[in-house]
Amino acid sequence: MFNWMWLFYILVFPGALFCFVGGTLLNGLDRKVYAKMQQRIGPPILQPFYDFMKLMGKETIIPYEANKPVFLGAPVVGFVALVTIMLLLPQFGFSAFGDINADMIVIIYLLTIPAASIIIGGAASGSPYAGVGISREMVSVISFELPLVMVLLAIGRKAGGDGVTFSMKAIADYQAANGAMICQWSMIPAALAMLLVVPCEVGCHPFDVAEAETEICEGPLVEYSGAPLGVFKLNYYVKQLVVSGLFAALFLGGKGTGIVAADAVIFYVECLVVTFFSMTLIRASLARLKVEQVFKFYWTVVAGLALVSLVLAWFGL
Amino acid sequence: MFDNLINKSAAKSPWLFHINAGSCNGCDIELVAGLTPRYDAERLGFRLAGTPRHADIVVVTGPITAQIKDRVLRTIEQDPEPRCIVTMGSCPASGNVFKDGYPYAGPLSKYVDVDVDIAGCAAKPETVLEGLYQAAQILEQKRKAMKNKGGQI
Repeated sequence: MFNWMWLFYILVFPGALFCFVGGTLLNGLDRKVYAKMQQRIGPPILQPFYDFMKLMGKETIIPYEANKPVFLGAPVVGFVALVTIMLLLPQFGFSAFGDINADMIVIIYLLTIPAASIIIGGAASGSPYAGVGISREMVSVISFELPLVMVLLAIGRKAGGDGVTFSMKAIADYQAANGAMICQWSMIPAALAMLLVVPCEVGCHPFDVAEAETEICEGPLVEYSGAPLGVFKLNYYVKQLVVSGLFAALFLGGKGTGIVAADAVIFYVECLVVTFFSMTLIRASLARLKVEQVFKFYWTVVAGLALVSLVLAWFGL
Repeated sequence: MFDNLINKSAAKSPWLFHINAGSCNGCDIELVAGLTPRYDAERLGFRLAGTPRHADIVVVTGPITAQIKDRVLRTIEQDPEPRCIVTMGSCPASGNVFKDGYPYAGPLSKYVDVDVDIAGCAAKPETVLEGLYQAAQILEQKRKAMKNKGGQI
């Protein structure tokens, strides 16, 4: 029953190592492009990697008020959840664990775990700044969950034919047969909604209400230092890769080349393009929103866009 | 195994925390000017951290007043090792024009070991970048020393 390939999938590709290397590289390219948009040289592409290594070498201070096991365990839980999502995402024809029925529902739940790990870690640190930060983080989770579920339902209906499918494999197969989902005109509003869900899910600049470093000292992360902070920063990089990868798997699928390595490269380039349009471009051009503005924006504009697609998909368009 | 890499990274990713210890706001503006696209401190890896727990370099501006002295020292204590302390402008190093005033509580070097003094009133952004770059190099040395002494300085 046990397959040795599973170990390779979990540890190397598309698991932990791919997430680590791909995530840091993606964040480095994102920061470089962001710097070019502001007409400056910008940090080296390996900068996130240096940041991570430096934090690994720093002293870890655990506050007297903190609950030690929860404080140190929270970032690791978030990282494991993100790697698990990456294992479930199909990359064209390839998916690590084959056809799992209803893995889309697993992904919806797993996507909240990184946010939950920030909330739990912040709560365990016992700082009032973290208290403000976690309440904001909860609001931002509630904001993007509704549009995200509506987008996934619309796609599930579109790919499911008669019923609704919750299998990522079925969606990948549908796209291999009928071309990328984004080419279907009824799915374009859903794609726009998903593009706006991505930065809020990641906690990227205009929607980073929870970690507003100029207002509440990085919120839930205020008491973290050294290695646990490094893992939280790594979670941020990997989240960029995983969430843009989710967009690529849902909307930019297709036949692929049939070779796993080539497909993985194309998948990564798609992640880069999604990161550019949904994160870098928005981050470079907008200032940070207030908490209630984020909530209102997601439950009106973004949810409205997703609803249009949902209704169109339900009428079989 | 990764020690060499971590030591090198310490110099390449210094995060700043800025304390205003009664400054006239001149140095504060110049420090922020050093981070703007024109001077672009991020190409050397500098980044302004929101809390002293995340920072590697503590930048102190302004004369240390009697009211703020304890708070400055407490904030510096919250910074994890290895850390560098940089004074910016003439005030924290010498007292400048506030030297004989009654609220003045002495230069920062009276209380903690200062690694780099950036001169000027106010210091120019070019000087700030030069000083911070030196502090980043000292950070690498401190990290090596910390490793040799088994995590203690």
